Amino acid sequence: MTKDLHDGGAFSRRSFLKGASAAAVGSAALHANADAHQDGPKSYAQGAHAIALTVNGKEHRLQVETRTTLLDALRDTLDLTGAKKGCDRGACGGCTVHVDGLPVNACLMLALDAQATQITTVEGIGRPGHDHPLVLEFARCDAMQCGVCTPGMVMSSLHCLQTNANPDRASVQRAISGNICRCGTYGRICEAVAGAAKRMQGEKR
Amino acid sequence: MNSRDRTPPEKELKVGFGSLIETRTFEVPAGDAPPWDATTKLSVVGSDADRADGRDKASGRAKYTHDIAFPGMLQAAILRAPIARGLLQNLDLEKARSMPGVAAVIALKEVGKRVRFVGDEIAAVAAPTLDLCRDALEAIVAEYAQEGHTVDFLFADGAPVLDEQGDITDPWPDAGEELTAAFAKAKTTVTGTYRTEVQTHASMESHGAVAKWTDADLDVYMSTQATFGVRGELSQAMRAAGLQCKSVTIHAEFVGGGFGSKFTAGAEGRAVALLAHAANAPVKLVLNRFEEHTCTGNRPAALMQFRAAVDEQGAIIAWDQRSWGGCGHNGQGGGIAIPDHLLAKAARRRERAHQDLATDADPARPMRAPAHPQGFFGAELCIDELAAAAGIDPLALRKQNDAQPLRLQQYELGAERFGWEQARAAAAEAKQDQHARYLRGVGCASARWGNLGNDGRGRGDGPGHGAVCRIHQDGSVEARSGAQDVGTGFKSVLTNLTAEELGIRAEQVRATAGHTTDPSGPAAGGSTTTASLAPVIRHAAFLCKQELAKKAAEHLGVAADSIVFAAGRLSAGDTSMSFGDACKLIGPNPIEMRGERFPNYKGKVFERGVCGAQFAEVEVDTWTGIVRVLRMLAIQDCGIVVAQKPAESQVLGAMIQGIGFALHEQRILDRQSGRMLNGDFLRYKVPGALDVPPMEVIMQSVANGHSNCSAAGLGEAPTCASAAAIANAVFHAIGHPVRRLPITPDKVLAALHQRGGK
Ligand code: FES
Ligand code: FES
Repeated sequence: MTKDLHDGGAFSRRSFLKGASAAAVGSAALHANADAHQDGPKSYAQGAHAIALTVNGKEHRLQVETRTTLLDALRDTLDLTGAKKGCDRGACGGCTVHVDGLPVNACLMLALDAQATQITTVEGIGRPGHDHPLVLEFARCDAMQCGVCTPGMVMSSLHCLQTNANPDRASVQRAISGNICRCGTYGRICEAVAGAAKRMQGEKR
Repeated sequence: MNSRDRTPPEKELKVGFGSLIETRTFEVPAGDAPPWDATTKLSVVGSDADRADGRDKASGRAKYTHDIAFPGMLQAAILRAPIARGLLQNLDLEKARSMPGVAAVIALKEVGKRVRFVGDEIAAVAAPTLDLCRDALEAIVAEYAQEGHTVDFLFADGAPVLDEQGDITDPWPDAGEELTAAFAKAKTTVTGTYRTEVQTHASMESHGAVAKWTDADLDVYMSTQATFGVRGELSQAMRAAGLQCKSVTIHAEFVGGGFGSKFTAGAEGRAVALLAHAANAPVKLVLNRFEEHTCTGNRPAALMQFRAAVDEQGAIIAWDQRSWGGCGHNGQGGGIAIPDHLLAKAARRRERAHQDLATDADPARPMRAPAHPQGFFGAELCIDELAAAAGIDPLALRKQNDAQPLRLQQYELGAERFGWEQARAAAAEAKQDQHARYLRGVGCASARWGNLGNDGRGRGDGPGHGAVCRIHQDGSVEARSGAQDVGTGFKSVLTNLTAEELGIRAEQVRATAGHTTDPSGPAAGGSTTTASLAPVIRHAAFLCKQELAKKAAEHLGVAADSIVFAAGRLSAGDTSMSFGDACKLIGPNPIEMRGERFPNYKGKVFERGVCGAQFAEVEVDTWTGIVRVLRMLAIQDCGIVVAQKPAESQVLGAMIQGIGFALHEQRILDRQSGRMLNGDFLRYKVPGALDVPPMEVIMQSVANGHSNCSAAGLGEAPTCASAAAIANAVFHAIGHPVRRLPITPDKVLAALHQRGGK
C-alpha cells in the first residue's frame, strides 16, 4: 500500500518498459529506445553497475543501479539538470533528450539501456559561448514563463526542425504535443520555432 | 529619509486611457521619483525587451530548487496515509532507522492523532538515493483505526438536495422585500444551478526544498511563492522542535510555477529542515507528481445557484445567489466571487448565502484568482442565459450594465477586433442547417481584479517593502529584491524599471530575486508583487541616479540636477558623457541605494484595480460532443505595463488554464478509498499544444495615478474570464447551457439532447 501510494499507483517502470510499447502514452517522443533494441531491452541483474554514457559528445563513467533512469543519471550523477522531472512517468516531456538523434523521455529509459548511444541534452546544443538559435528565439518570443518545461520544449522543437526545416504551426504543435506547459506558452513556442527555422536557414546560407 | 514628515506637494497627473484620459490631482510624497503619467514617454518600460532570464531558462542553465545539489546531499521521501480518515494507532520507525544507509527517519504525525485525507503526512526518511528512501518507507510500520469518510462534497453535511438534472430543489430562502419586489417587476427572469470541479495547480516544478545547516544557520532552497513567509514559518517550526536556529535564509532564484499552491513551506518544507538537522547533511525533498496533485492544495469545487432578472430596458435589476464550496478537511476556502461590476443596478440579497462544506480530502489553497473562475463561470453564463431569454445580444447586455468605463472601451475594442457581430451572425446562420454536424458559438466574459499594491500602510500589510539598486565602477548595474519570480516576469520588472530610470538598456541590468538576504517583498499572490514593488524598484534606481549625477556633475562642471539620463548617456545642455564613463568615477565601492515604498498616492485613482474582457469562439461536434476552442482574444490592462512580453504571456497562460478549467480538468476521487484516481498527467488533463487555438492579447497601458509608475498586478484578472467566455460560446453554439464544468462530451451530448430537435 505504502509503496503503491508513493509511486502514484502506476505500474512499475521496469515492467512498463519491457512489456508495453510506449505508444499507449501517445507522445511522439518515446520510440528511440525500441528502435535501438530491436529484440527488446536487455535484462540486467539487480544492483550496482559501472557504465559509460556518451553525453553531448563526451564519455562519462558512472555507477548506476539497475533501476536508475537515464534522467536520474543525467540529473543526479552528471549534474546535467536541463532535463526536468515533471512527472517521472513519460507524461509531461519535461525530461526530453535526444538519444541517437531521436527525442526520448529520459524518465522512461533506464540508464543501462542508454549505453552505446549518443545522448544529447539541452546543454549540448548550440556552440560553446553561443546559445542555439532555438534558445535565442524562445527568449525573443517569450516562449516561457516559469521555464521548467522550456528545455524539454526546446529539445522536442529541435527534433522537429531536424526533420523539417520549415515546419508549419500544426507540425510544431504535433512535435510538442508530448510536452506539457502548465504556464501556457504553446502559441509562443510555435512562433519561436518558426523564428528559429528562419535563423537557421539564414545561418546555412 | 525623513521625507514623510514633510507635507506632500500636490501634483497634477494625466490618468486613464484613450478617450478617458483626464487630469487629476494627487498628493505625491516628497522624495519619491517624479511620477509617470499617461503622457510620459518611456523607452524600456512597456517595450519589447526580452524576459530578463529568458535565455537562462531556455538553455537549461537556470537552476531551480529541483536542480540544486550539494556534495553529500541526501534525498528524502514522505510516508503518506493510505486512508481518508482514521486514527494513527501505531507507528514503528525502528526497522527503517536500522537499514544500512538510512540517515534519518522522523515522525510527522503523533500516534493517536487523526488522519485527515489520503496522503496525509505520517513520517519522512532521508537516505543517499531516492530508491533507498522508498525501500525505507516500506519498512515503516503504520497502523490505522479506519473511520468512515466522505470525499464528495455533495454528500457532506449541509449539502443541498439536487434533482436528476443537477438542479437545487430546496426553495430559495426569504429574499427580503426589496429583492422580491425587484423580481416582481422584471420582464424576464432566469434561474440556474451551476457547478465546477476541483482543479489542481499542477505546477511543473512540484513542491520541494533543499535544506542545509551550517552550525545553527539554516539555508533552504525552496520552490516557493513566499520567500519571506516561509522564512518565518520555518524559523518558528525549528524553534517549536527545540532546535538551535540562529537564522533561516530562503533561496528561490528560479521557481517553476506556483499558481497559489506555494505560499506555505508545508509539512514537506518543515520535514526537510528537520531531516537535514537529524542527518547532519544537506537534504533534498521533492514531491512526486501524485503527491503534487493530491497533497498540495487545489481550487475547490463550487455549487452555485443564481437567479437574475432584467427590466424592459435591459437593465439587470435583480440578482440572487446562494452557493456551497466543496472544500477539504478544514472546510475552508470554497467561497465564490462574481462579476459585481455587471450588477450595479441590481437589487441583491443582504446576507451572504454561502456555506463551505468539509470533506475528507486535501484542503483548498488559493489558486490564481481564488473564488473567481468558479463564480464568473456561473454568473456570466447565467447572464448570457438571461440575455437569450430576453432577446438581447449578450455583449450589448453587458455594455448596458457594466459600471466600469475602462471595460466599456474594452468591450468595444474586443468586439471590433474579434468580429463579434459577424461571427455571432455566421454561427447563428450555420445553425439553420438541421443536419450540420458541427455547430459554432461565440461568447464573451469580463475580468476584474482589485489591487493596487501593498504599500506597507494597509491593514495586515506588514512592514514596508524594499529593493536595492547597485551601480558598479565597471558600468554593471544590479537590481535586487528578495521577492520571487514564479514565472510572472518579476525579474523583468526589476530590469526594465531600473534601466528606464538610468537611461540604459534592459540587458545592462542584472536582476536578482528570491533570496531573503535582499529586501523583502510580498508573496507572489493576489497580483500584488508588481504593484507593491515596482515603485520601490524605481525609487532605488532614482536614488542611485542622483548619486551618479553628483559625481558626473563635478566631472562635467554642471549642476547635478541639470543632468538627464537617456540613451546610455548623461547629458546637460551640450555637454555629455556615456553612462559607462560616468560609472568609472564611482570608485571601488558601488553606489548602493535602497528604495522606499511610499504610500499609495492620495487622490482619485483612475481604477482601483484592473479590468479585462475576453472573447472565445468554439466548435461543437454534435456527433461526439467534443468542444474545440477555435480562437480567443483578451483585452487586459495592468496599469502602466512594465514588461510587455511577460505580461502578454501571463494573460495567454491564464486563457490556456481557462481552457483546461472549462473543458478538461477535474480531480476525481474514488468514493470508496478516498484516493485520487487521476493523480498524474495522463488522466488529469492539462491543456496541451493541440488543445490551444490561436490567441491574441491586447494589453492596455493605463496610468492610474496611485504610485510613481502606476504599475498594477496581472496574475489574477485574466483568469476570471476565460472559462466563462468558453462556456458562453458553447451555450451560443448549442442553444442550451452546459451548467457544469468541465464541459466534457457527455454533458454536451446531454445538452444537445435537451435542446431537442431545435
Ligand atoms: S519527467 Fe519524463 S515525461 Fe515527465
Ligand atoms: S513555462 Fe512553466 S510550465 Fe511551461
